[in-house]
Amino acid sequence: MSKKVQAIYLWWHKPVIDPELLQSLPNLKVIANSGVGMDHLDLKLVASFGVKMTNAPHAVSSSTADTGMALLLASARRLVEGYHIAISSGMEYCEADFLGVEVTGATLGIIGMGRIGYKIALRAKAFEMNILYHNRTRRKEQEEQAVGATYCEKIDSLLQQADFVMVVVSLTPQTHKLIGKREMELMKPTATLINISRGAVIDQEALVAALQAGVIRAAALDVTYPEPLPRDHALLKLKNVIITPHLGIKTHKATYMITEEAVENILAALNGLPIPSEVLPS
Amino acid sequence: MWYHKPVINEELLQSLPNLKIVASSGVGIDHLDLKLLSSYGVKLSNTPFIVSTDTADMGMALMLASSRRLVEGYQMAVSPDTEYFPADWLGDELSGATLGIVGMGTIGYKVAERAKAFEMKILYYNRNQRNKEEESAVGAIYCKKIDDLLQQSDFVLLSVNLTPQTHKLIGKRELELMKPTAILVNISRGLVVDQDALVEALQNKVIKAAALDVTYPEPLPRDHPLLKLKNVIITPHIGSATKKTRRLMMENMIESIQAGLTGLPIPNEVL
Repeated sequence: MSKKVQAIYLWWHKPVIDPELLQSLPNLKVIANSGVGMDHLDLKLVASFGVKMTNAPHAVSSSTADTGMALLLASARRLVEGYHIAISSGMEYCEADFLGVEVTGATLGIIGMGRIGYKIALRAKAFEMNILYHNRTRRKEQEEQAVGATYCEKIDSLLQQADFVMVVVSLTPQTHKLIGKREMELMKPTATLINISRGAVIDQEALVAALQAGVIRAAALDVTYPEPLPRDHALLKLKNVIITPHLGIKTHKATYMITEEAVENILAALNGLPIPSEVLPS
Repeated sequence: MWYHKPVINEELLQSLPNLKIVASSGVGIDHLDLKLLSSYGVKLSNTPFIVSTDTADMGMALMLASSRRLVEGYQMAVSPDTEYFPADWLGDELSGATLGIVGMGTIGYKVAERAKAFEMKILYYNRNQRNKEEESAVGAIYCKKIDDLLQQSDFVLLSVNLTPQTHKLIGKRELELMKPTAILVNISRGLVVDQDALVEALQNKVIKAAALDVTYPEPLPRDHPLLKLKNVIITPHIGSATKKTRRLMMENMIESIQAGLTGLPIPNEVL
């Protein structure tokens, strides 16, 4: 059976790709990842077995961008807290002083302006948001102008001005704990941190401390480290935190498109054709 | 006047012989008897435009939260019983879906502007058709009959004001015209929807879900079925509840009151 396996379609990090598995599948040609993040794979290891790797960048961008906007709006307008007030039994209706912060016209700082970050900028523009971005490389002028985005060469500049900081980078050794105590202290005390990238991009302990001390206003996290968090984790108890279960790409449409993209990549790899979304070890 | 208090009735107006103006917070005036006020020579103002962007933002927030099952997801993420996140737990994509806006006034139009950036297809139903430039700026298609909008929409958003004509505008018939995969979002007034019909429609999967910033009454009785349905998000009428907007509303109201007291033209007067 194991000699027949030529392709693996990796769904939510399963199966685990380790040396034992790779050794047991001598005819494996390609591993197609569902989703775009590749941080759970040892790219060098896989390449050393002569196996190609692919991801599904096109299928995930809209649904992940939507998730970023959903979290931004939910946090700003205190949607989850509001829901609990609206449905709780024996509730004292204190609506007059239940206030959120404005989204329209606010400043959004996008850290990581790749495909997903750019789609977020497109959406945020319609809310008349002032858009700043920080990226490894600067985008072309036309791309910047299309969304009215201003490049911040230094992340500090973005952190100091943004009302909403949206983290949309891929997880690499360089982005590990990118947002720590120092970065959060640079943020405004009225600012909201939104993470739709990977839990490990944020220093979680520093985040808990910052939220408890009012160093930043709130956080909304679709990703944590680990997932799920231990049930006694401080983040689960803070009122100014919204956590969602890594639902960034979990829509019927995205699931379908990811599978289509994966199949395209697998067939190309098996037929020795150019692979649309090959990921090479850097 | 803040959140419908005090209640403006005959007794109150009789007891305040020198009352010149009622400044109402927000844009809705369905809670006021205009004829009654007029008969006592009392002027009325509201705060129409200041609430528009926040309310439109709230409409988008509810659409996104409902389609992506954000509240359910949050509950799963924090629940003491959660051991893992199931792989087959899915929501619906908002990008590229069809949005039907019922009531394309200032707020409805701002929702259209936002929805366009999500590549949504936009249909609208309104007393009057908007002009061509306004329509093409947001790519909105006019539906002469509400039925056409209801049958094609993945999201139906209500942003009409409450009048005798819009009372129970969305009832059993309208809900049955909607797709079984559709989501109803209400940022207008609770009474625009037949709530009993909505409960039944949600229980029988006639529509997929609802997200309501407004209900009738507010708040709902604590044993109301809407509070228990998993596919319903309710928020406590916070459409305009941001610090900045509330302060601007106050400023507008004070301006209107000062004008009313000094006999000058009243900004935002409701006639």
